[in-house]
Amino acid sequence: MLANHIGFYSLIMGLLSSILIFIFSLKSYQGKVIDKRIIPSSFFQLFFVIVSFTSLVICFIISDFSNETVFNNSHTNKPIFYKISGTWGNHEGSLLLWLLVLTLFLFLFLINSRSELKQYRVLTVIFQQVIIIGFFLFVLFTSNPFSYLFPKPIEGLGLNPILQDPALAIHPPILYIGYVGSSLIFSATLAAVIENYISKDWAKNIKLWILISWIFLTIGIMLGSIWAYYELGWGGFWFWDPVENVSLMPWICLTALLHCVLILEKREILKSWTIILSIATFTLSMCGTFLVRSGILNSVHTFANDPSRGIFILSFLFLLVSISVIIFFLFHKENQNDYKKIYFLSKEVSILVNNWFLMYFLSVILIGTVYPIFLEVLTDHKISVGPPFYNKLIIPFLVFFLVFMSIGPNLKWIKETNIKNKVQLFIFFLISLFLSLFLFYKSGQTNLTITILLSSSLYLFIVTIKDFFTKDLYNLSKKIAHFGFSLLILSILLNSILSKEVIVNLKVGDKFNFKNEKIIFNSLENSRKVNYESVVGSFTIEDDKQKIYEFKPELRIYDQPVIITSEADIKVDLLKDKFLVMNIIKGEEYFNVRYQIKPFMIWIWISVLLLAVGGFLSLYKRFYEK
Amino acid sequence: MKTLKFFFIIILFLNIITISYADKEDQLVIKISKNLRCLICQGQSIYDSQSDFAVSMKLLISKKIKLGLNEREIYKQLIDKYGEWIVYDTGLNKNTVILWGLPVLLFLVGGAIILKKLVFRKF
Repeated sequence: MLANHIGFYSLIMGLLSSILIFIFSLKSYQGKVIDKRIIPSSFFQLFFVIVSFTSLVICFIISDFSNETVFNNSHTNKPIFYKISGTWGNHEGSLLLWLLVLTLFLFLFLINSRSELKQYRVLTVIFQQVIIIGFFLFVLFTSNPFSYLFPKPIEGLGLNPILQDPALAIHPPILYIGYVGSSLIFSATLAAVIENYISKDWAKNIKLWILISWIFLTIGIMLGSIWAYYELGWGGFWFWDPVENVSLMPWICLTALLHCVLILEKREILKSWTIILSIATFTLSMCGTFLVRSGILNSVHTFANDPSRGIFILSFLFLLVSISVIIFFLFHKENQNDYKKIYFLSKEVSILVNNWFLMYFLSVILIGTVYPIFLEVLTDHKISVGPPFYNKLIIPFLVFFLVFMSIGPNLKWIKETNIKNKVQLFIFFLISLFLSLFLFYKSGQTNLTITILLSSSLYLFIVTIKDFFTKDLYNLSKKIAHFGFSLLILSILLNSILSKEVIVNLKVGDKFNFKNEKIIFNSLENSRKVNYESVVGSFTIEDDKQKIYEFKPELRIYDQPVIITSEADIKVDLLKDKFLVMNIIKGEEYFNVRYQIKPFMIWIWISVLLLAVGGFLSLYKRFYEK
Repeated sequence: MKTLKFFFIIILFLNIITISYADKEDQLVIKISKNLRCLICQGQSIYDSQSDFAVSMKLLISKKIKLGLNEREIYKQLIDKYGEWIVYDTGLNKNTVILWGLPVLLFLVGGAIILKKLVFRKF
């Protein structure tokens, strides 16, 4: 009760302080010095949102069902950890979290940018504040997390059991930091356009924020994918599902921006393109929120949605995009003195090619995600765009992308003159071609495209490994990230080619033989846990070398709401994951058992982590150089 | 020499690979069921889903294969019955020309812009 009131009123106080900041920053834009009250009031704004968020968490912990959000998404017999994570497992709470990250980023920007131009700083605050106020209004008017219920219900409705999972508990906050970080990039870019400050110095400063959001987005996407792997899927980890796509799109855009800013920093070219990418990244992040929250998308990841809220986000987004387009055309002038010579064989061109391909991948995903929606609205024709579409349009281009990625980073800035040294690159190419043909022959693959893709990804893999053996350690962050990417593509590819599976219906005591291996269904054990009934099956697998593995997959029958989830038992090692999951068949004593061998699974996660490590190193370097 | 060593290590490593468990018919069922949407689930394929619908669908597919129908015929029958919504691979027709064409078109336009800028050397 008390926490509920405190939460609501501090949210209003937060809105008041954000209006104050807006007024102060408008004043300081006209005045000569920056208003001293901005930083304290931005601290208060952050403080109030933190208080508000904490009170919501407390409402969840003490299961205060007079709060509508808690009533809808919690239950008294849920473990405390999931009571807390339930705070952001729903629409209202996740928006409050979004607001929290927004205000946190603004505060961090303010205390970190003291050395920068006053006008630029103030304008960034103004734009960021417009976004913050918009979200305050959104939370207060369309999705108030502190709505009051009377009479107070005795029990809550419970949290969707498949959300009760450690990876998914921390997945939203991390993903949100990435999303929201793009709002600061957006504000800073608009401010820099108005002040005509798109320059080397600006590129250096903005890189920090790009890196931060990129790292968090990378890790956030990975956590969601790991969750899908062991909880949702039957061994799949990426479904080309619309909600996954909307998290991948800002990531691709941000990756393009990260590379583009490098050119800006070195050569002060591509200014307009950098601006467009910054705006696009933010728009895609907002669109992501809109599409997920509006219920337009049909997805495995959508849990709470409401169409009326979508309208608000959509109009707000439309407003922001129009403002940014107007600013871009009014203020941005390409300086004619910026004329610079570009040679075909140079790092600049290779980064341009990188951006070109990334934009293509982005457009495939964007069109694939929104096209069915438009088609249905316009012609009433319902189609599905699924993995085959993405595979067909992405894989052929990915081949070239990988080859360019192997060559490009080895070129010099401005002009590459030393071409003789590149013979080595050609030899590596031959090696990888040979290896993939060997694999082609060995694995009985018949798909030629896959083989070509394999050879190009092997090529990138070999080249990125070779790059570690050069003496210059300056670009370690880049090397690690690029190596991570090559490892990612390679492990995904090998995983999909070499995965094996057996699906069979078994009852207790049954044995099943396949290709010199055996599955034995030993027993079934029931037990009662805090908020679910657990049924654990015990299986033995004997492989062709007579090695014996024990598997204990579980079925959970949750109480509130009543949903059955199946928990796979996964034996992870460096070369392969062994994955066993069982499922009830209605009205039968049989269980559906699926046993899979998924090679190099762990390397997919490791390689994404390597990408993030590369980002961290670059961030560290940036601070170190300061 | 280093390269050669590296090369051999990879070859040795590749020897862990064995061929898939499933026979041809099962593989076809898997391939088809991966391309079909489970109509009662949210965004899962027949292959990934364990709903009653998906389970009976998988049985139906293997029956049809035993009857001697090929992949394309099975899709056609299912589309006639459930609508285009059920297949993930939309194929190229008058409704999806833009879907397939637009990304490629954008790619070409992007390439043309870059080339133009490079040739005229104006950034």
